[in-house]
Amino acid sequence: MKVPLIPIWSVDVVGSILMIVFAFLSFGLCLQLKRKDPNNIIVTYLLWVCFALFVFAISRSAGHLLKQIFLLSNRPDLWAAIQPFSGAINTFTFVMVGSVTLFFERTWAIYGTILKDRQALQNAHEELLYLNQNLEQLVDKRTEALVISEQKYRRIFEVSKDMILVTHKDGRIVNLNPAGRSMIGMNAADSEDKIHGLAFQDFLSGPADWDAISRQIEARGFISSEEFDLVLKDGTRRRMLLSGSLAKNPAEDGETIHFLIKDIEQRRLMQKQMAQADKLASIGELSSGIAHEINNPLGIILGYTQLLLRGEEPQSDRFNDLKTIEKHVKSCKAIVEDLLNFARTSSPQKEYLDIHAVIDEVIGFVRHHSNLENIQIKTVFASDLPPSLMDEKKIKQVLINLLMNAIHAVARTGTITITTGLNESASRISVEVSDTGHGIEKENLLRIFDPFFTTKPTGEGTGLGLSVSYGIVKGHGGNITVKSELGQGAAFTLSLPVSPPLSGR
Amino acid sequence: MKMSMIPQITGRIQPYAAAAWCFCVTLLSSTPSLATQGHAGIEGVWVHQFAHLFFLFSMMLLIYWLRQAGLVKAPGWRYIQYAALFFILWNVDTFLVHFLDEQIQAVRVDNLGGWQIRVVAAGGRTWLSAVYYLAKMDHLLCVPAMIFLMLGLRHMLKEVGPVESDKGVR
Repeated sequence: MKVPLIPIWSVDVVGSILMIVFAFLSFGLCLQLKRKDPNNIIVTYLLWVCFALFVFAISRSAGHLLKQIFLLSNRPDLWAAIQPFSGAINTFTFVMVGSVTLFFERTWAIYGTILKDRQALQNAHEELLYLNQNLEQLVDKRTEALVISEQKYRRIFEVSKDMILVTHKDGRIVNLNPAGRSMIGMNAADSEDKIHGLAFQDFLSGPADWDAISRQIEARGFISSEEFDLVLKDGTRRRMLLSGSLAKNPAEDGETIHFLIKDIEQRRLMQKQMAQADKLASIGELSSGIAHEINNPLGIILGYTQLLLRGEEPQSDRFNDLKTIEKHVKSCKAIVEDLLNFARTSSPQKEYLDIHAVIDEVIGFVRHHSNLENIQIKTVFASDLPPSLMDEKKIKQVLINLLMNAIHAVARTGTITITTGLNESASRISVEVSDTGHGIEKENLLRIFDPFFTTKPTGEGTGLGLSVSYGIVKGHGGNITVKSELGQGAAFTLSLPVSPPLSGR
Repeated sequence: MKMSMIPQITGRIQPYAAAAWCFCVTLLSSTPSLATQGHAGIEGVWVHQFAHLFFLFSMMLLIYWLRQAGLVKAPGWRYIQYAALFFILWNVDTFLVHFLDEQIQAVRVDNLGGWQIRVVAAGGRTWLSAVYYLAKMDHLLCVPAMIFLMLGLRHMLKEVGPVESDKGVR
């Protein structure tokens, strides 16, 4: 096939020149890159590739140009001499580019690792620099935070109203908060030294309690909401709700037990009182039902008895018999009336009264009707007591009951004190009737307001006096409580609401 | 029993034994030669062709790695990828030319003078002459490859920014 040489020749010549130009430019750019980023291993790779291509371009293009020159000048012998050398260089540069490129992937991976490490180093360096520059400030800040935290928890420990106690596993006390110290009868401000050496089990009611606590903690690592009695310094017992857990305390040797102990004595007493009130309310309801049923037949019996009495000769045997019936029926009616009073079936006729005047009248009445030769009745009246809304007759009955009981308790010689007071916050007045008598046994205290409960010999009391008083006071929206110890006398306290609250003063 | 075992063993070893025998005979029967081997004639062309194939293969690998590493998203590396592609085409082209005129000598070029040549392909294949004629203009492939390489480097240079101080990791 016959073809023109010009296209091949011109492409060869122009191409060779362009190859040299672009190879130069590329190599130059690569050198600039290297100067800008001398540590970049990828640039080093590109530099080697460019260098090889640069050498290849020079060798091949220069060879081709020389070839054309020699052929045109009819000196093929010169080209034949140069050709193997040029070809060898070309071959070498191909191998060089190929070899360098084969390691590109590894080079890139290494470059990535280097960049990552460099970044990590840079970050660490910056962090170190920051810490170095701000160490003092950081330590101050952290110390301040620690102090605030310590103060916060210290405050919880100090102001807690419950006992917070830290002990060793054998019960030796490590730390006890002020509330705890007060609970066990110590002074809240006592020094730490007084606490050390004490053991928690010494304040429990018996060794069995400590055994039970330590057994549970040993088995489960904690104890939760268990009730125990704490024996105070003066020997009194108080009911406590105890929770605790075992903790590894780095500041102490070995493990410690952290207890949170809550005084539930008041709550327990309140629960007892509520149970008592419930019981009395039930009895009242029952009594009221019975009283109503008995009251009607009693009225009929009394009516017929009195009718029969009209037709009988006075002083006759029959008249006397009917009189006996009438007397006992009246006695029965009085008891029924008391039961109804206890059950608060009749509403009190209230009016504003001065309680001191009522007390004075009752004392006068009792003095008139009882032998009080060696019994002293003292009054300690609070000043400015507001008038209170009450049913005079019924309150007098309550006071008479309490005074008569006190006189009976004092027996021959003693003192009865009537004290009044005002609790402004609760808007209540209080009247306390205390005596120096024989007191009430503990087991009787809970039953004292029960109907028909009496410690008097048979025939001397119906056991309805205090029950009726209880009913009347409750009917006034008040309360009646008793405090007594055997041999130490007794004190009954009435508390009655002031209505309207203190406005009448 | 002995008779039955011999043919069995012989049958299994025979091909390897024959190959080993041939190798030994060839070695022992060859004529004495100098210690260093001569590299004349066609050997240079073979080496050059291998170098082309090696170059081609390395460029293919480069494209594969660039794409796998996601580097082609950056314009600089994208241009280098194009450069590699043109180098592949150029290697194929030059490999073909070398193969035709130097290895198998299937093509002969006669200078007719007056800027005319005659391309004579073996067996009078005109299409082969045409392919050879076109393939001879290989600069149409290698020059674009160099241009793309240069463009890629120029982009990279722009991206690098100002000269960095020597604080890095070597």
